[in-house]
Amino acid sequence: MLYLSQVLGRPILDLEGERVATLKDVIVRLGEGDHPPVAGFVARYRRRDFFLPRWRISHFGENGVRLNADILDLRPFVRRDGEVLLARDVLDKQLIDVDGKRVVRVNDVQIIEAANEWHVTGADVSLAGLWRRLAPAKLRSHRPVEVIDWADVGYLATDAATVQLKSSRGKLARLHPVEIARLAEAFSYQQGAEIVESLDDETAAEMLEEMPAERQAQILGDMDEERAADILEHMSPDEAADVLGDLPEEKAEDLLLRMEDEEQADVAELLPYADDTAGGLMTNEFVTLPLDLSVSESLARLRKMAETPNMIYYLYVVAAEDSWKLVGVIALRSLILAEPSAPLRHVMRTDFQVAHPDDRAGDVAQKIAEYNLLALPVVDEAGDILGIVTVDDAIEILLPKDWRQRLPRLFG
Amino acid sequence: MSDRPTNVRGTGRRLLRRGAQGVRRTVARRPRLFFYLAILGPGVITANAGNDAGGIATFASVGADHGYKLLWILVPLTLSLGIVQEMCARMGAVTGKGLADLIRERFGVRWTALVMLALLIANGGVTVSEFVGIAAAMELFGVARYISVPIAAIAIWWLVVKGSYKRIERVFLVMSLVFLGYIVSAFLAHPGWGTVAREVVHPHFDLTPAYLFTIVAIVGTTISPYMQVFIQSSVVEKGVRVETYPFTRADVWIGTLFSNATVFFIVVCTAATLYVHGDHVDTASEAARALRPLAGPYAEILFAIGLFGASMLAAGVLPLATAYSISEALGFEKGVSSSFREAPIFLGIFTFLVALGASIAMIPELPFIRVLLVTQVINGLLLPVILIAILRLVNNPDLMGKHVNGPVYNVAAWLTTIIVSALSLLFIIISIKPGLFQR
Repeated sequence: MLYLSQVLGRPILDLEGERVATLKDVIVRLGEGDHPPVAGFVARYRRRDFFLPRWRISHFGENGVRLNADILDLRPFVRRDGEVLLARDVLDKQLIDVDGKRVVRVNDVQIIEAANEWHVTGADVSLAGLWRRLAPAKLRSHRPVEVIDWADVGYLATDAATVQLKSSRGKLARLHPVEIARLAEAFSYQQGAEIVESLDDETAAEMLEEMPAERQAQILGDMDEERAADILEHMSPDEAADVLGDLPEEKAEDLLLRMEDEEQADVAELLPYADDTAGGLMTNEFVTLPLDLSVSESLARLRKMAETPNMIYYLYVVAAEDSWKLVGVIALRSLILAEPSAPLRHVMRTDFQVAHPDDRAGDVAQKIAEYNLLALPVVDEAGDILGIVTVDDAIEILLPKDWRQRLPRLFG
Repeated sequence: MSDRPTNVRGTGRRLLRRGAQGVRRTVARRPRLFFYLAILGPGVITANAGNDAGGIATFASVGADHGYKLLWILVPLTLSLGIVQEMCARMGAVTGKGLADLIRERFGVRWTALVMLALLIANGGVTVSEFVGIAAAMELFGVARYISVPIAAIAIWWLVVKGSYKRIERVFLVMSLVFLGYIVSAFLAHPGWGTVAREVVHPHFDLTPAYLFTIVAIVGTTISPYMQVFIQSSVVEKGVRVETYPFTRADVWIGTLFSNATVFFIVVCTAATLYVHGDHVDTASEAARALRPLAGPYAEILFAIGLFGASMLAAGVLPLATAYSISEALGFEKGVSSSFREAPIFLGIFTFLVALGASIAMIPELPFIRVLLVTQVINGLLLPVILIAILRLVNNPDLMGKHVNGPVYNVAAWLTTIIVSALSLLFIIISIKPGLFQR
């Protein structure tokens, strides 16, 4: 087993054991299995960097590298697609440890030989790894190291644009979108955007919803428009409307028009409302049932729905099939417990709380907390239901900012 | 209709048109954000955080001991501070990363260790000065430092670790605004404005240890290492990016000008009230006397309030910021909400700095102004390490692309670094061999 720090700067020897150059970097190719193989070396000779392919090497160890021929190709080194330089792109950089669900910094890289191939097996993130690079060899401690298995590396925060880990996609998806969002806070905004782009549309949408509003807008605003529109389609309409509201006008219109018709209409419907009103808080994903159904018919309809909204604990009873006129509310619980043959009008509650779209957001949140509701319907002057404000949006308003962001990056 | 029996509300041309209108209306509400950025952005806050206990002590004694003679240094110093702060703000906006982060990623472990050590020592010194400030302020109220300092230290530790410091911070901030009273006091003291104007444009230099000591202290308190780390982090945290950066640049320069204008009036005020009588500033109550033209008999109380607020503010922020930087650079677990077991080094550094500051401030018979000056000198001596790192980073095209320093700017920035380094070196040499430059 080798550590990168032990081989960097070591001599490269020819067949006679003469030093011909210095080892500057180790090249690995990502995407080939969990433990990427060493593909070659960057050697430095008289202030010039050149490439040494793996098959030119007969020995690689703490004493340096030994060549298997006397011929050296001195063409300057150029990085190829998918190649990562361990010293330049990995050492000292941050990465996401999917297993430990945290962001760590690479203090050293572990390389292990197996079947005459060298593989990167892990990233040393311990203090011992740091000390190995700081202290002279004599003072080295033999304390246990803490190594992250390379197979658990979900995202590597490096500037090398060509190496973005397509292989990381699956690994990051092992985390909950909320966790990904929290971890992404440790990175720069460019890297945060990179993480979002590496995820599938649905995970990306969920992760974005967990990020601060301005950050969502920044990331989507910089992204390829088609991709951004795809992600917006997967976000809940109220969140998507908030993001679009934070973007410059032309950009927002462009993204909106690129969205699929159905999602586009849902979002467009929510856009006119100001942020700090009930209309701005509400989502238009909710379930309505016409008044003339029975309990069993209602349950059957729910089961048949292709896509149920997140919020189905309350079902909103409207006057007729094509109407939006809100006449009653039924909790899913009452529906399940009720006699199957009973008509909805006997089971529903008619003394429910409502909000007007222009009500202040704070008042709406207060009402939800006061009446212990999971959602509050928003109803216009005509008595038509426009949307619902769910309890999670209310919590965001009621809790002070510090509580929601328990991990501030600097001061306080 | 029948295949969508249950309605998920949606669709319709009419609604779409309404939506497009909405986009326009929402966008129209936005500029408020930029307005806020320009008025109370990271630049203004950071530059004025420089006027803490150490800063007040330094400039009060500059005015009292040297009169208007050192006013000239404020001109190049304002330029230098602006340039240095601007570089860090720009790095934050372009890279989206903190200074400690960049140093680690670009320079490797050894440089990082060096810079972090410098930062730890410098910030440790400043933290000491803040606790000394707390002690001095409370003594003006008649509370012994053996009571006030431990209580303050425990309170700060508790508030920060429990995460409620942020809310109290504003109170301290408002208290520290009392120092703006120096501006009024300067006018009321009727200084000779002609002399003041002449001294501002008339540089002169002495090669005595005392003079160099004062200059290094002035530089150290104005361009403190922590301010660079601080401004870059706040820019990153605010999410400032290249497109909105011009607002931040304006903010940095406004902040620099404003804070150094305050400094200018502190010097003028103390010169006009104390220097003319041949008084020196050795204690807090002497420094407070410069506020007499404004507050008369209440000068001490006013001064104590300001000093207490400014010191409490920085005594919480500095240890915390230091712990963040070091943890960030060396990759330790960080965050105040973590427990000691999760983030032992982070909380350890924070606790150590608070404890260190508090215990030194409790040493009996501690010469107030002298200690504050010495901590600023340490800042000044360590500044070159940070400045060189900043300059190498900001000129790295891999990192900054086309946002590297321009040639004129670079000359000014390097000149600042070279002069600061030369001053520090000169000061060290002269302190070791005092007679070197005297015939």
